[in-house]
Amino acid sequence: MNFLAASIESLGAKIVRVLTVGYGLLAFLTEALSALLDRNTWNRATFNVVVKQVYFTAVQILPVFLTYVLVISWLMITIILTTARDFGLGQFASEMTIRVLVLELLPFLTALYIALRSGSAINTEIALMRVNNELDALAHCKVPPMPFEFLPRLISGVISVVALASLACLIAVMLGYLAIYGLNTSGFEYYTRTISKILDFKIMAGLFFKCALFGLAVTLIPITAGLETPKKLFMVPVSVLRGMMKVFFAIMVIEVVSLALKYI
Amino acid sequence: MNTFHFKVGLFTLATFLLGTAFLAYLLYARGYFENTYRLQLAAATADGVVPGVPLVFSGIEIGHVTSLGLNENGGIVIQVELPERHAKWLKQDSIYTLDKPLIGSVKISVDSGDLVGAALPENSTMLLLTPDINKEIPVLIAQVKAILANVEHLTRKESDVNATLANLKTVTGRMTGEYGMLEGVLGSPQNARAVTESLDKTRALMTKLDTLTAKTDQWLFARDGLADSTRESLAQVRLMLDDAQSSLKKADALMTNAVAISADVKAGTQDIAALRAEIDDAVRKANALVNEINKLWPFARDPEVKLP
Amino acid sequence: MAAVAELDDAVARVALELPLRANLSALDNIALIPLYQRHYDATEAGRQAHALLALLGHAEIAPLRDPDMTPAQRFVTQLARALMLKRPRLVIDRPGAILYDVPYPHFIRQLASQGDLTGTWEIFDFSWNQTLYSE
Repeated sequence: MNFLAASIESLGAKIVRVLTVGYGLLAFLTEALSALLDRNTWNRATFNVVVKQVYFTAVQILPVFLTYVLVISWLMITIILTTARDFGLGQFASEMTIRVLVLELLPFLTALYIALRSGSAINTEIALMRVNNELDALAHCKVPPMPFEFLPRLISGVISVVALASLACLIAVMLGYLAIYGLNTSGFEYYTRTISKILDFKIMAGLFFKCALFGLAVTLIPITAGLETPKKLFMVPVSVLRGMMKVFFAIMVIEVVSLALKYI
Repeated sequence: MNTFHFKVGLFTLATFLLGTAFLAYLLYARGYFENTYRLQLAAATADGVVPGVPLVFSGIEIGHVTSLGLNENGGIVIQVELPERHAKWLKQDSIYTLDKPLIGSVKISVDSGDLVGAALPENSTMLLLTPDINKEIPVLIAQVKAILANVEHLTRKESDVNATLANLKTVTGRMTGEYGMLEGVLGSPQNARAVTESLDKTRALMTKLDTLTAKTDQWLFARDGLADSTRESLAQVRLMLDDAQSSLKKADALMTNAVAISADVKAGTQDIAALRAEIDDAVRKANALVNEINKLWPFARDPEVKLP
Repeated sequence: MAAVAELDDAVARVALELPLRANLSALDNIALIPLYQRHYDATEAGRQAHALLALLGHAEIAPLRDPDMTPAQRFVTQLARALMLKRPRLVIDRPGAILYDVPYPHFIRQLASQGDLTGTWEIFDFSWNQTLYSE
């Protein structure tokens, strides 16, 4: 009996923890949105911070990221093509390529890439800001950190994931064409038709929304995780660890939900 | 110059331009810059047809299903859309078949025969055929019945054909009268030729029916033939075809007669034009039916399914 | 000491526990206040911050970030930030903790004598450091 009660209690505690995290995220997001709509947020300084963040999140990694996309896309396309031709389903190769790479894999990998590189950095930075009392100092000065610390990171996260994912998808589409038809225009009509068949308005809007959500998840969650760090230096790695686990979980949830919406 | 801002600006601009270019390409691919051509397909069953199912001509996708619904009579109406540039592949005598391969997706294929036929006007309703013989037979029987009724109608004693022939006799009678020559001159020789043409068509159809009956026999009495119920249905169709053939033979005889009469006077009346239209109509329908039967029955098909 | 930390928001404090934002320059740290509290535009906020640093006689530290500053420069920036708050009281909490490598009573007095600064600065320090202030 005791055992049963204990397990029910631990289950309840877990649920409460999850709900608290969810509520914290939502509350923070609401705050960010109201800051976004506040006219006073929008000055030259905020804009400069956004530009700086976009630079660090997206532009700086561009060469490495594009190489990585080229390699991954080329690998996937080759695998799909070979398998499809082996099974006599060559005419479905282009459709498979677009569905697998453009709609699912590349946005997902982009989100993971940004999460690993910028998400973890953001989490560490915010955690250090908190442990070092920098946030307390800002609070003492009555300067809200939202418009120049958090909001630019959220915006740059969304912009970067959307932009990098679209670049990656464009590369994959072109690479797919080159892999299937080579350097000539013979397959253009057919390829165009395949693309038009798959990418209708709903799918494109969904893809955009998914990328934006990814961008939000890989910045919002590290920020809130950093803010929750206890004021002890040795808790910073723990905070980053927990934050990154939550980011990974959120990315999975977004991917699964988007798949469910698309195919069910 | 602020390199920071320049790089971010360049990145944003390049991504935005590429994205816009791709969106424009997508809109082009989806036929946004072109007028859309609509077509309705009536089907006995919409099994497997969903919005997005492609319309395929010679293996190339030219359009897709946008919606399906029921009409007032409970028939299934499938709306198909295609870019205007592809509308030229659709002819009035095109045949639409629902294609359900074992592997791959459902598609509707169009067969346009020769590409010199009359173009199909927009928003027309065409029949969608299902290559499933068991489901198609009742529909087929209904069609055969309808055509048979039509042919019979033509050859009834009090029918238009007979009436026309009677009329012709009067005309010929009149020709010998006082004002006969005048009427004869007024009638155009084209009308007479029209009747002859109709006759030729009827004969061609009869030959076709002959071969079809032979094929049906072969099919019916083959060792590994169809299930009993299907066999009965097919036997019914066969009887009807025989019937149609004999009716058409009758019509042929009558027509020959009519031509013989009108050849004497080299004259025609409005009646003959009407008659020609009616016979043409019956012949066209019967022709389409024969085509259909030929297409549907897997006489020459390999029953084995080849897996990769 | 806890008493100082619990002073209300009407008091501007300079203290070790209130560090500068590490990835912003001295100028930006000070300019944050007019920028995000009083909603001046970026140029005007920067100008005000610069004027304040110049008043304290340390305009040269404007582009430096916290890790690149000497303790004295860090103290000046924190002091300028506290001054920028324009609160009725200004408390310097244990200056020895920040200005550990300079004779700080003299340094603070020198700063206070610059230009036309108005108002009083209150210094809270350990009682055993009292002798240092008897100049």
